[in-house]
Amino acid sequence: MTYKVSVTGYATPNAAAAQAAFAQAFKITPEKAAELLTTLPRTIKVGLDADTAERYCQALAKMGLNAEHSHHDAPAAKAAPSASATVTSAAVPAAKPAAAAPEAAPPPQPRAAAEQPGFQFRIDGAPDFAFLTVQLPANHSIKVEAAAMATMDTSIRMKTKLSGGLGRLVTGESIFVNEFSADTVAGEIGIAPGAPGDLAHVYLKGGEVLFLQNGAFVACDPDVTLETKWQGFTKGFFSGESFFLIRASGTGDLWFNTYGGMIEKEVDGEYVVDTGNIVAFTEGLDYKLEKFGGYKSLFFSGEGFVCRFRGKGRVWVQTRTSGALLAWAEQYRRVGKEA
Amino acid sequence: MKIEFTHQPGNTAATLQLAQGERCTTESGAMIAMSGGLDIETTTHKRGKGGLLKAAKRLLGGESFFLNHFSARQGAGEVVLGTALAGDMMAYRVDGDALMVQAGSFVACEEGVEIDTSWQGFKNLLSGESLFWLKLSGRGQVVLSAFGAIYPIEVDGEHIVDTGHIVAFQESLDFSLTKAGKSWLHSMLGGEGLVCKFKGRGTVWCQSHNPGSFGLSLRPTLKRRK
Repeated sequence: MTYKVSVTGYATPNAAAAQAAFAQAFKITPEKAAELLTTLPRTIKVGLDADTAERYCQALAKMGLNAEHSHHDAPAAKAAPSASATVTSAAVPAAKPAAAAPEAAPPPQPRAAAEQPGFQFRIDGAPDFAFLTVQLPANHSIKVEAAAMATMDTSIRMKTKLSGGLGRLVTGESIFVNEFSADTVAGEIGIAPGAPGDLAHVYLKGGEVLFLQNGAFVACDPDVTLETKWQGFTKGFFSGESFFLIRASGTGDLWFNTYGGMIEKEVDGEYVVDTGNIVAFTEGLDYKLEKFGGYKSLFFSGEGFVCRFRGKGRVWVQTRTSGALLAWAEQYRRVGKEA
Repeated sequence: MKIEFTHQPGNTAATLQLAQGERCTTESGAMIAMSGGLDIETTTHKRGKGGLLKAAKRLLGGESFFLNHFSARQGAGEVVLGTALAGDMMAYRVDGDALMVQAGSFVACEEGVEIDTSWQGFKNLLSGESLFWLKLSGRGQVVLSAFGAIYPIEVDGEHIVDTGHIVAFQESLDFSLTKAGKSWLHSMLGGEGLVCKFKGRGTVWCQSHNPGSFGLSLRPTLKRRK
């Protein structure tokens, strides 16, 4: 027995505030939220168990929305994912026709989402413990960071591929990216990054390039090319991170994760980020490693080197770093040899 | 200065918006990101005091407390701050009163706030948890962080808090270190060690988790230092 959750109306006179809260919670733009919440009732989630459905209703009530959950039988649940995907993420079967092969006709789709190509996916547990669930249409595959697969349907097969070349040996990143494919039947795959934190999704249009900090990669469309990029001594040497960045180019979905919260920052001009906190940035930005403040700051500020971005683009920053946690734990190490 | 908290409560970050001409002081290592045009200076105490030699001396003395000062001389800008451990943050406005802050919980303050690192607090006592305290006074906003959640306790009369759970407290409170149990032996064996007994009226802000306990729980799995 599964349940669906529908928004039936507004509990507050301030519809705009409710829409804004909804947009934030589901990580969609306020415009999209407004569009979705214009025609009510609107089904926003299907295939949930009773407890989860109840939690959704409570969360929606907090946003100032009236919501209800109702029984929902299995065949309909298969037909409906397109509706659920419209709010949870940007994904639609249109570009991958095999994804939408339901017995029943899917409910009408909001236009905003229909324009977004790529896989149907869902991010749960954000922002502290985000994990990813991707619907793989038949005859499609997905590249996943080695060891990040958590659950999958038995119809999905795994192939291990060497990706990113030998460079990945040096980055400290496992050199293997696994490819999971749904050969004949569509399936679902659950992907969990190693570190607890948030997940970001970017759909790379052809020609767009994104740089990822070593270790941030989670999954991508097979049409996205991953390469390691030598940073040179000047850029990578003092960063304390690695000599490499992962260069992602091509067309398709790309997911990456953070340790801690994720801040997405539009840069226009100059912006400075601690090297350990950089997660990703767009190619259009020029970046330079430099010391933080004067020489005194270099040794005592606790920052060391920072990255100065120049130009127009976007930077993703994480609010915590595993390096800082390790440095903190250092004081608790025992001294001397094993007794 | 405007303070905005994001990603609460798990992985909180504080964004400080500085108008042109404004300055702020942060704990060393707290900066995640900032606008390109800000000026930076690192000192041990207040801005303009304490030379490099003094800084090195403090570092050797085991007190690695340094402060970064950000100033928006050329135009408005922002500084984003985070901490090493997971947890929440809070803002407090010091207005003529004084706030005692556990050094590890201090994140940032406005220019008008005086930071006194010379206050010895509980340091000379056998606390086992060598906490280092800051006395914040003057006028302005202060940003504090915690390991886990932060909750205030309004003390009117007497109250006891484990030293590892204290984030900050108002100076209006009298405090003394005492044993948690009836005898010293029980207190030590009970793992509580020393606790702080507050008297009078005022607020104590506590953190849900004790960083020292977490550190000790990691200890057996951490690789030995040579």
